[in-house]
Amino acid sequence: MKRDWRASIRYYWNVKVLGNAYLRWQRWRMERKGPPRRWRTDILAPPLKIGARTKELISRHYLEGRYANGHKPVAWVTSGAPVEILQALGYYVLYPENHGALCGARKVSVEISTEAENAGYSRDICSYARTDIGAMLSGKTPVGKLPKPDLLFACTNICQTVLFWYRVLAEHFKVPLIVIDTPFVYTSPQEYSIQYVKKQLENAVPIAEKVAGRKLSYKKLKQVMRYSRMAAELWLQVMERGKNRPAPISVFDQFIHMAPIVEMRGKPETVDFYAAMLREVDDRVKKGIGAVRNEQRRLLWDNLPIWYKLRELSEYLAERGVAVVASTYTMAWGELAPLIDPEKPFESMARTYIQPILNVGTGKKLEKMKRMIEEYHLDGAILHSDRSCKPYSIGQVDQRNRLIRDYGVPALLLEADHNDPRSYADEQARARLDAFIEMLY
Amino acid sequence: MLEIPGRKEICNKFREGGGRVAAVMPIHYPRELFRAFGVLPIEVWGPPGMDISHSAAHLQPYVCSMVHNMLAFLKTGGLDCADFIIVPHACDSLQGLGSLLVDFVRPPQPVFPLYMPRGRRPEDVEFFAQEFRKLYDWLSNLTGRRPSDEQLMESILMEERADKALAKLYDLRTEVSLSVRDFYRVVRTRQYFPAEEFVSFVERVIDEYSGNPPDGVPVIMSGIVPEPMEVLDEIQNLGGIVVGDDFACCGRRVYPAGSGEDPFIRMAWRIVHGPPDVTRGDLIEERFEHLMDKVKKTGAAGMIFYTVKFCEPELFDLPDMRRRLKEAGIPSVHVEVDINDPLSHQTITRIGAFLEVLI
Ligand code: SF4
Ligand code: SF4
Repeated sequence: MKRDWRASIRYYWNVKVLGNAYLRWQRWRMERKGPPRRWRTDILAPPLKIGARTKELISRHYLEGRYANGHKPVAWVTSGAPVEILQALGYYVLYPENHGALCGARKVSVEISTEAENAGYSRDICSYARTDIGAMLSGKTPVGKLPKPDLLFACTNICQTVLFWYRVLAEHFKVPLIVIDTPFVYTSPQEYSIQYVKKQLENAVPIAEKVAGRKLSYKKLKQVMRYSRMAAELWLQVMERGKNRPAPISVFDQFIHMAPIVEMRGKPETVDFYAAMLREVDDRVKKGIGAVRNEQRRLLWDNLPIWYKLRELSEYLAERGVAVVASTYTMAWGELAPLIDPEKPFESMARTYIQPILNVGTGKKLEKMKRMIEEYHLDGAILHSDRSCKPYSIGQVDQRNRLIRDYGVPALLLEADHNDPRSYADEQARARLDAFIEMLY
Repeated sequence: MLEIPGRKEICNKFREGGGRVAAVMPIHYPRELFRAFGVLPIEVWGPPGMDISHSAAHLQPYVCSMVHNMLAFLKTGGLDCADFIIVPHACDSLQGLGSLLVDFVRPPQPVFPLYMPRGRRPEDVEFFAQEFRKLYDWLSNLTGRRPSDEQLMESILMEERADKALAKLYDLRTEVSLSVRDFYRVVRTRQYFPAEEFVSFVERVIDEYSGNPPDGVPVIMSGIVPEPMEVLDEIQNLGGIVVGDDFACCGRRVYPAGSGEDPFIRMAWRIVHGPPDVTRGDLIEERFEHLMDKVKKTGAAGMIFYTVKFCEPELFDLPDMRRRLKEAGIPSVHVEVDINDPLSHQTITRIGAFLEVLI
């Protein structure tokens, strides 16, 4: 990566001086304002105050991205990638999946995906990938501008799709692609698989160093891992507060506030953020405030969120006294925290990153769902059958059937797509949800 | 049409001789390891034309027909003659199928999911060799045998000969009189013939059919599997001849011979260094260069991308592969099929129109 002093000046001026001041002011204003006008305070608790900080962090992250090229090395990475190495090397990391989610939530994913579809990318490939490729080809994005990558970093621990997708990025950007292959854990992880991942991580370092033009400091790496672990532990605690009745936060809150743990792991501000969030959630617990005002029934959410329907679904369920309080998806960024050992960075990264929920067998996932249903005292489960995400969705038919048959837990398979509203049939979904809710009472 | 024994016949014959049979799903696995245990791997690519109501009890409709059919085939007794089931890893859908079989479907036969590393690095070879060692122990437990390194090596050499015979068959495509479909029926016997029979069969075919190759505009096909195989007849009827392919079930598995004394490393090396394959993570550029080599060698005038609906690995590469080919002056067409549907008029018309342009 070639450094350019003019880019550095632009970066400092626009991000550190103007951007920071503006974003702080915006946060200050937001913290003092009441809930947005459209917020259904009759059925939902007021939005978490931490929302103002979430917005500040995310906006700053994308603002930094806008001015990163020429000032910092830039890597595009997959959401489950062992990003600590890159953080320690001073990379700016962009998560195309998070950017895709943001496009989904802002309801521009169809417009951007269409750019990819017009260029020949099938509607049968993952809608995150289509959104990202569409953004790459057209430059369209709701965040102003995405930085070009100097390095691509794909880890197969969420799916093989990312491997196919990042090869497309490598073809277009002509930059090195590092693949960290994490063998799928059908039953339990093999020791040789962990050593295989470790070896790849070690071998990735010189490539990432060469692109960054600097050497990895092991002291820094350990520090980054400490922050990663602290943030993941705090995030886990935040989610575990959902065990309280009423649950202080819903999974819809979690979907919004998970962005920092995904894209800013390893940073001190992320630790501060989740510590503050935990304080606020604990305060709610103390005061008996539930995310859903009239919590009557509690549910589990499986698979990715339906980004473009978050508000609608949250209100629909809250109106009926249903709180969705736990999710296998958001749990993925917290449950492995105890495995992170800053004293053994490569070994522990290998052990941690080989077994997120998306890289373990369908039976293990069912066990996890069952455990969560017990621990969070849940009355049922919604399994979002995500047309785009085969690794998460295959197995759900049996999982749903077994939840019903073996554990007596009502479970609904809801057909949709996390980022493509064209695969969501409103009326059909509504009818299925209506029938399901009826069963809960 | 050329007389070729089918899977059932070969399976029964092998079992009568005291051997056992493993049903193997796509794509990459070490044939030689099975043979060293007296087990014949018989591959399952679909098969086409299944009633997927049997698989729909486990799989959503947006999973490819290949995976649906393999499960439907299993559930309707299609794999009853197999003693073991092997599910190599190639994509998210095959990963899901392997996991479903282990956790929920639980067929009567023992199931082994085999993970394939993504890359050609030394650590990929080492990891794959470890997977094979695990598979060795698994087969040992089930068969009570422990083939020695010499026996393994003997088996490897036999499979290397079979791969060489396959490569020779491809090289002679334009020098034998086999129809397009018959040629691929011969190629696909590699999916279930014992290696030694495959070698002698190919030699006999080359001998008997040498000369008078069919006429037609030369094209290359790329995809997972040429099913339904009538498409090959149609291509020939429409004036085309398939002179090479990049099918996952055919040309993408012409593995090179290995070297070295460690049988596990040698088996792993062969697969890891096979022709470029998207499911193994090879770059688009490498795939393209490989196809261009084929174009140059065979004088192909165009490329037919023949993909299975919902097959993500292939779909991701298509736009760039087609763009690169276009820039190199090689026209291409994309046809998508569900392997349960009969060959549609639309497909035939599309291919016909494409061939017309080439002629
Ligand atoms: S949504 Fe699923 S298929 Fe798409 S990138 Fe994420 S894990 Fe992979
Ligand atoms: S057809 Fe494609 S998606 Fe289906 S199993 Fe084969 S490689 Fe996987």
